[in-house]
Amino acid sequence: MLKICTVYFGDLYTPDYVEKLFSSIRRNSSIRFQSVCISDNPNVKADLVLPYNHHSDVKKHWHKLKFFSPHFADQYPGDDIIVMDIDQVITNNIDDLIGYPVHDNELVTYGIWWKSLLHTNGGFYKFKSGSLKFVWDDFIENPEYWQNHYYINGDVHFKYYGEQNYVNWKTEEYKAKIIKTPGKWIGRYHSDIRDNVELNKIYCDKFDAEYMILDEVNENIKIVHFTGPGKTIHEHNAQWIEEHWK
Amino acid sequence: MRIICCLFGDKFTQWHVDNLKHMIDTYSGLKYDSFEVITEDLYGNWYNKFQMYDKFRDGENLYFDLDMVISGELPNLIRKEFTLLDDTWWREEAHTPLNSSIVSWTGDVSHIWDKFKANDTYYLEKYNKGSDEFYYREVEYQTYDPVCPKINMNKLNTDYNVCTLGQMHHVMEKGWTGWWSQYFISSQTLSSPALSWWKQQL
Repeated sequence: MLKICTVYFGDLYTPDYVEKLFSSIRRNSSIRFQSVCISDNPNVKADLVLPYNHHSDVKKHWHKLKFFSPHFADQYPGDDIIVMDIDQVITNNIDDLIGYPVHDNELVTYGIWWKSLLHTNGGFYKFKSGSLKFVWDDFIENPEYWQNHYYINGDVHFKYYGEQNYVNWKTEEYKAKIIKTPGKWIGRYHSDIRDNVELNKIYCDKFDAEYMILDEVNENIKIVHFTGPGKTIHEHNAQWIEEHWK
Repeated sequence: MRIICCLFGDKFTQWHVDNLKHMIDTYSGLKYDSFEVITEDLYGNWYNKFQMYDKFRDGENLYFDLDMVISGELPNLIRKEFTLLDDTWWREEAHTPLNSSIVSWTGDVSHIWDKFKANDTYYLEKYNKGSDEFYYREVEYQTYDPVCPKINMNKLNTDYNVCTLGQMHHVMEKGWTGWWSQYFISSQTLSSPALSWWKQQL
């Protein structure tokens, strides 16, 4: 079985992000899956909702790492696991993305085209259940250390950020194969109009496209990621968001 | 005989107390006269445990942490002298070799409480990694023979019928499934295919 898993907590986003993400995946895919959400809000809608424990040693986005353990979320040997951020808008058929082939000891992640020091992107992880269990097992031996490490190190600018840095480090340390999906499938959106112009330019140069996102989204893009701390979907009123985010 | 546990703070709940009692009553074979729960939160940390040495000054006493798995009949854990676990048979020695997940004594060991209480601010600062270092440095103790390993997530260790979860206590939360789940009270995922698969691995 394919499980698509996410985490919702706090009040930056609204509970309907989860429902809209899963609804839009179903609308744009023929692949059956079980939706799973770790949440501190009873109003999220998913096939399996698991509690976000505010008293846990595990903080914020680091809860995503639980899905790397085969003991979590009713995983069964052979399951394909996808972990996604909720701040994404599906704009096209994503069979090729969520059905991307993966084998043991492989991590499929977004092939991003914007500047990044990392080879993995926390917006999308796909792996075989349990095959990358070292990600969780090593983390939970000392969660306080890892959750602060990248902030203390200056790699990230917000406390408790760095989950994707950690996943990147662990997959490389254990020599897991990192597989990147085609970059042209992924759009990136900013609240700042100048940033969006710059992003459009980079995308067009990279993929010989006429635009990334203007009034509508480039037909090669399957999913648009609202990246960066504090970037929300619901505070934007672009027509293409209204059309796809429901 | 008295069984004792501690419940305070936010990490553990009444479910964990009920779960410990369930495992003791169902699997351990222990016969006891009273099941005591210390709930007074004096220190906000595991030094709260020390209250038991003040409260229970007679008879046989056996203490368990809440994050244990008891999967079968236990050996005799009652001790005359003050006794706790030495973990160094399964882990490297850290700031202390000791682990107070299981503690036993008979009679009055209130001197432990008295010593700590008299200078509690000093000891909380001095042994800030945990209360087990206080035992190691400040108290006369005996240790059990190997009786309680750390949990092996992949397989039930049939050589021992009790194990400590330690850093793995998250597996008691809803959503976690493994061989241990069938020993817990009202497992949330009891009928899932995943649990059936884990049971087959025993």
